[in-house]
This record gives sequence, structure tokens and C-alpha cells, in this order.
Amino acid sequence: MPYNELNQRPARVLLVEDDDGDALLVSELLADSGIQVDLQRARSVEEAARRLDVECVLLDLGLPDAAGFSALDRVLAAPRPPAVVVLTGLAETGQGLQAVARGAQDYLVKGEVSPELLARAVRYAIQRRRAETQERDLYRAQLRASETSRLERALLPTPLVGDGELEVLVGYRAGRDGLLGGDFYDVVERADGSVAAVVGDVAGHGPDEAALGATLRTAWRTSVLAGLPAAQVLDVVEQILSAERGRPEIFATLVMVVVDPERSSMELFLCGHPTPFLLDDPTTSLPSAHRGRALGIPVLGGWTSVRVELGDRWRIILFTDGVLETTIDGGSARLGEEGLQEIMAEQVRGGRGRHADASRLSLVDRILEAVRARHGGDLVDDTALVVLGWGQDA
Amino acid sequence: MDVSVTSRVVGDRTVVDVTGEIDVYTAPALREELASLIDREHTDLVVDLTAVKFMDSTGLGVLVGALKKVRTIGGDLRLVIDQEKILKVFRITALTQVFTIHASIDEALAEQG
Repeated sequence: MPYNELNQRPARVLLVEDDDGDALLVSELLADSGIQVDLQRARSVEEAARRLDVECVLLDLGLPDAAGFSALDRVLAAPRPPAVVVLTGLAETGQGLQAVARGAQDYLVKGEVSPELLARAVRYAIQRRRAETQERDLYRAQLRASETSRLERALLPTPLVGDGELEVLVGYRAGRDGLLGGDFYDVVERADGSVAAVVGDVAGHGPDEAALGATLRTAWRTSVLAGLPAAQVLDVVEQILSAERGRPEIFATLVMVVVDPERSSMELFLCGHPTPFLLDDPTTSLPSAHRGRALGIPVLGGWTSVRVELGDRWRIILFTDGVLETTIDGGSARLGEEGLQEIMAEQVRGGRGRHADASRLSLVDRILEAVRARHGGDLVDDTALVVLGWGQDA
Repeated sequence: MDVSVTSRVVGDRTVVDVTGEIDVYTAPALREELASLIDREHTDLVVDLTAVKFMDSTGLGVLVGALKKVRTIGGDLRLVIDQEKILKVFRITALTQVFTIHASIDEALAEQG
């Protein structure tokens, strides 16, 4: 079977052989075999390394400028290495096997090669290499897909809350055209029964910021689970931000709350972030008296919290500026705090009398839909929301 | 919803006039203009934001980046802001403590560097 039954053009083969006699022998064997090849010759590894744009390399293992398997390793280290058939001397068949173990497709013993054997070795080696390449490309595609979903998982965690009485709703929307930003959220119940929640925003948009958002989210969860006091959690997150950011100007804003085990009050930390709301009808802003700086900006000082008494029936919503700063009705006016509060109050009214577990959209999804409708399409910015509630629909 | 960025030399300083909205889509234009000025050794910058209608965190990042860059080479970057809604963006993040902010371009230029 001539090679070009498989492939319409002659196979490009590079013979790497310093001995002119051996080189002539190989080219005659190939000519006798009937296989269609475009045969080139290199006399050294150095020369071969510049000419690896071929389908198959016939490699003499006894080259003067390459001891042991260094020639083979060099060929295989090319970005898209060709198939390799190693040529060994009669006394070196063990080397041939080792070469295959290192990644060569096949080996031939000089002096024992017939035209048919050589042609078949070249053909099969190319086929095997092609199959390997396809497999690797497929693997890479799968890896990319799983990286994307891993990034999504890292940005959009499942809340870690055991208290079934506490209402915990989370939501995230990528920006327009699937624009990933650095918005993130998380909710974790601590060993003492308190529940910590965070919504954060890495300045800027793109895969780097999204990856950094995922990193900060993980740092936050780890510090909370490790039992660090809330203010120290922020220190850790800021240290991670400073160490992991790609450019020194990148900063992050976040809001963190820690709801006490009795669910009647909470500590509120504002780090350069929009003030969360008491989600009710009407919806109002939580106190912002102890507003602190964003994380990662060159201003000294830590953060202090404000204690908020919540009572026995409450619901709060933390959000990123994606919903706050969205334009409305396709114009240039922005939704703003008051506009957002109106939309949220409407959704609270609309949700009254319905059971929270009904199969219809959750309150968070309804709010996101309502903001989207007010904007007149998908939001430009990405957005993260967390709702915590107590004593609702009991 | 676009942004226009122009610059002019006034004495020892370079005034950067920004008009329009600075968000995720328009911030790169501001970043490029500031980077190009700094590359050409205009390191004493006054960025006039009085004609800016909107700015988000991406725009803040660009300004913080430019500020850090000019400070490391002995320059400065001052801002002119006369609208509460723009000032609020800086106040929320505490970046008011990082930038020198003036209420008018005359005030910014009168200030000794």
C-alpha cells in the first residue's frame, strides 16, 4: 500500500545521519519501497533541530554531536514534534527499545532493514504520531473547557451553611458577551454558629481579574473557616490580593457581614464597597458610618465594623456595583441607589404570599431579571448578589 | 457613551481633559493616553474630570495605576473634580486619601507642585 493512499502528497521525511554510506542506503531502500517521500538529510542534531517541519524523522542514534538519547530528546522537545523512527546498529537493539520507551514511534536495526520494513515503519510512525497529536489536542480542548468551568465554580461557590432556618440566596451574572469580571460572593457558617457572607469586586474586567476574584474568595473562605476574627480575615484577603495581583494598580472592594448565632444582629464591614440594603418594602440602605477603604490601595489603616440590630424578621442584600451603576432604558441615566431600592421593594411585594420553595424564580433571580429589564438587555458589568434572611415565610 | 481624552501643556504641567463616561469599555482609551504621556516624560499631570459624566471602578484602576507610575519617577497626578457623584466614587473606596483632588482647574494649576 503506497503511502499516498493515506495522504495525497509525499511524506516529508528528514534523515539525520552523519555517515554518507548509511544515508545513501536509506534513500535507496526508500526508493525501492515505492513509498512516496520527500526525503531531506541532516548531518547533525544541530542541523536537524532547524528542520523539524517534517512528518517523520529517521534518526541515527550514533551521531557525533549527540551522546546517548540527547538527539532524540531534542527532536521530541519540539513544539509539535514529528514522528521519530530511530536507527540503531546491530549491537544496540536494546537502545532501540529504550528509544521507543522515551517517545520514539519505532526503531530499525541497520543492516536488517528491507525496503518494505522501512516503508511500513515510516508509514505507521506517522499514523501513530498523528493519532497522538489528535488525542493531545482533544485533551487540551477538554482541559480548557474544564478550566473555564473550574473558574466558574471557584467564583460561584455553594454556600456552606448548615442552618436550614436561615434563608441564603446567591446570584451571579457574567457581563454582556459573557464578560467575566472579578465579582465574587461566598457564605460560610462558622463553628460558633455565626454566619459570614461576602460580596466583592476586583477592579477591572477579564479572565485575570476573574481568576483573582476566585483567589480572594478562596482566601476569604479559608480564613473564615480557620476561625480568624473578621477584621483579620480582611487583612489576609488584602495580603493575598497584594501578592497575587498582576498589576500594582489592581484593587478590590468588598462588603462582609457576620450574622450572630442568634440571628438578631450582625457586624457590617464596608471596604470601599457600595452599602448593602435592608431588603423589604420599602428597601433601605444599611448604615454606612464606618465606611473603610478599598483593599489594595496605598492608604494605611484597617477596618472597623458597625453593629446592626436586625430584630426577629429581616432580610439583607449584598451586591456589587454592576446592578447599581447600570444604565436605564438604553439611555445614559444610571439606576443608582434609589432606583435599585425601588426595584427590590417591588420584587419583595411581588414575592409576598408565595412559598419560598416554589419552583418559580428565587427572589435574587427576580431582582436580577427586573434590573435587566430596566436596563433593556444584558448588563454590561458582571454582578454578584447575596441575600440573607431570617423569619421569612415561617 | 464614549470618552474623549486630550492633553495640553500648561507651564510645567500637562493637563489631561477627559470628557464622557469612563467604564470598562472606554477606560482603555484613558489608560493609553496617560501611558503615552508618561512615556514622553510628561510626569506632572492634572487630570480634569469635570466633564466626566460617569466613572466606574475600571476608571479608578486606571488613575491609580497612572498615579503609582508617575510617583515612582518623581512626578505627580492631581485630579479636578467638581461633581458630587464623581467624588463619591473616590470617597467610597477611600481613594480621596490617595489623590490630591481640586475643585477647579485654576486651583489645581495655582497649587505649587
